[in-house]
Amino acid sequence: MNEINVTYVRYPPLETIGLREERRIMPIHFVETIFLMTLVTYGSRVLPFLLFKGTNVQGFVRNFIELVPIALLAALVIPELVTPGGSVVVLNNPYLWAGILTFLFARKIPNLFLGILFGMIVYWGLDKLMLVFH
Amino acid sequence: MSSAKIEPMEKGFVFGLRQSLSIVVGYAPVAVTFGILATQFGISVWEAGLMSCFVFAGASQFIAIEMLHQGATAWMIGLTTLIVNIRHVLMSLSVVHFFPERSRTWSLGLAQGLTDETFVLNSRILKEVAEEEQRRRIMLGVNSGAFASWVIFTVLGGLIGKWLPVQFSGFQFALLALFIILTASSLSRKNLMTYILAGILAVVFKLLLPGKLYIILSVALAAGIGAVWKSRNDKLNH
Repeated sequence: MNEINVTYVRYPPLETIGLREERRIMPIHFVETIFLMTLVTYGSRVLPFLLFKGTNVQGFVRNFIELVPIALLAALVIPELVTPGGSVVVLNNPYLWAGILTFLFARKIPNLFLGILFGMIVYWGLDKLMLVFH
Repeated sequence: MSSAKIEPMEKGFVFGLRQSLSIVVGYAPVAVTFGILATQFGISVWEAGLMSCFVFAGASQFIAIEMLHQGATAWMIGLTTLIVNIRHVLMSLSVVHFFPERSRTWSLGLAQGLTDETFVLNSRILKEVAEEEQRRRIMLGVNSGAFASWVIFTVLGGLIGKWLPVQFSGFQFALLALFIILTASSLSRKNLMTYILAGILAVVFKLLLPGKLYIILSVALAAGIGAVWKSRNDKLNH
């Protein structure tokens, strides 16, 4: 196998990759990814600047866009907390309990920096603890 | 004396830059964590820095490096980013009225630095400034400070991750903690039902469907149902 060709090889399908596997991100794929991310992100930011003088959207479209962030937070967080390994786990699950505690902490102390620090430390502690008792 | 008259005239780029310090303090730990995680996911310091430079949108960058690590295609990451970042349309829509006389160049420049945090700060400051030219300079200052710190602290985090290979399982939880904190500050009685619906749908779809498809499907469905319901309520109330 020629080393140079490696740059052009696509990622193997999801199932064949172990999470811990060490490898280099492939440049072409990375450039494509950044390009698309920039396109959609900058696009969302700049289009209203280019198209509107100062009007606002109303009705269903506005309600929909307003609800996307909270729905997204649910979709990003809840499955990760409830089914970290692919099936529903409640008791022996540091993600779920660290998540609940972080939420309560953030409700009391609305500080991003302290909240993240709290979450990471609690997760680390619970992870260690549950390994011991398992 | 005359200082009260002169002060508002002096508000400009530097004033905005100084105001952005409150954002910088919040961005620093998040960007450092992003840099560390990126290097742990096999992304180089410069690639992480480039991503922060071009994309400049925290949550979507964390998701992107995780998806890259899991072997997702660029299109899949692009689509997920669209879902995550479409909210910028709303923020952008609600700041453009500050700049009715803006040129094309100002439009392109001011849009670049619009994030959740700069949006909130700019909306608060710009209300108090009477002249449009000044508002533009202030917003450019706020955005520039936030942007520079995001890129610089990403690179710093990347270097930390590269030179000090820290074995701390807590990093696995950094992104989730960030999202949970955002949830804690944005969950209200008005959107609670949409949140619960999206959560249930996401768990069910995740167990049934391959990859990250469940994110897009559950968000579109839950926000759609929530919006239909809210639109109908709005009509009934009028």
